[in-house]
Amino acid sequence: MSAAKRVQQWATFARTWHIFDCKWQDPYESANVIKKYLMGLHKPIYHPMNDCGDVVVCINSREIALRGDEWRKRAYFHHTGYPGGATWTLAWELHNKDPTMIIKKAVYRAMKGNLQRRHTMERLLIYPGETVPEDVLQNVTNQIRQTRLVPTRLDQIPEEVSKAYPKVMDYPEDYILK
Amino acid sequence: MVFLTIANWVRSRGPDEFWRKRRMFRLAAHYIGRRRNCYSVTVRNVHRALVYATKARKLKKQDMIDLWSTRITAACEQHNITPCTLKQGLDRANIMLDRKSLSDLACWEPRTFECLAAVAKQKMEYDGAIDYTDKKYPTGVNLKLQDVMLEAWLKEKKQ
Repeated sequence: MSAAKRVQQWATFARTWHIFDCKWQDPYESANVIKKYLMGLHKPIYHPMNDCGDVVVCINSREIALRGDEWRKRAYFHHTGYPGGATWTLAWELHNKDPTMIIKKAVYRAMKGNLQRRHTMERLLIYPGETVPEDVLQNVTNQIRQTRLVPTRLDQIPEEVSKAYPKVMDYPEDYILK
Repeated sequence: MVFLTIANWVRSRGPDEFWRKRRMFRLAAHYIGRRRNCYSVTVRNVHRALVYATKARKLKKQDMIDLWSTRITAACEQHNITPCTLKQGLDRANIMLDRKSLSDLACWEPRTFECLAAVAKQKMEYDGAIDYTDKKYPTGVNLKLQDVMLEAWLKEKKQ
């Protein structure tokens, strides 16, 4: 490698588009990962004043997974500004209302509050399902690794596969399955 | 002492009120409104600004260290190595680079940094060290069990 090529870097300041599948992911855990790409923290040229953040496209935000009974316990606070204008929306209610909101708020909260935050959030695109507009999808060049394994449900396994799986024991003949 | 301004050279001998205030106003020259025009307001703001400046001298260094760490972490992720493994590996290979130099290399000479990461990884592999602990030399390898534990306890019948 010649001396000039040694330090050559192509497309260093280019904006890369990443895709992240939210299926069965903890939004608060994956927010920290998404944040890293949005702010450009994954690049060695990072500086808070330079605009090196990337675009992240989140898909399947309808199928996020919250820990424990957080769907019922976590409340999102909103205040209209008028007296008595406070509302607390539970996570499941918010998710029914807008399936993209929980992941959006999680990423927003993961970032430090400054003037740049709202502009950085503009680069986060969230889609509730797998359908992504063609003009967005054609830019995507990278996939962000999921933080958690997506479990396979028994009813999603084909019957031949589950039949062929080694069995420990048979149920007794007089055993009543509920 | 060098006086670049003739006016200062002429009138800087005594504690003259005008010139004392003028020194403060010079420091507040870039303020706006009453903060630069009224002395009593100016002096409060200038004092506060000087305190900030004093504190910022330390904070600036800390900020730079944080920035270097962020950059090194980012570069390490690209080469699938953790920053602490990199540091440990480079130290063991007797490559004494500080965070500033490492982040500069990561930023400006990514291929050099790639080689450094490879060196660190290989060195750690040779040493048999994983995550700070040297697996070839486990702690307490030279200790005899009899010295550490009570003999009676060893001979005691266990269930």
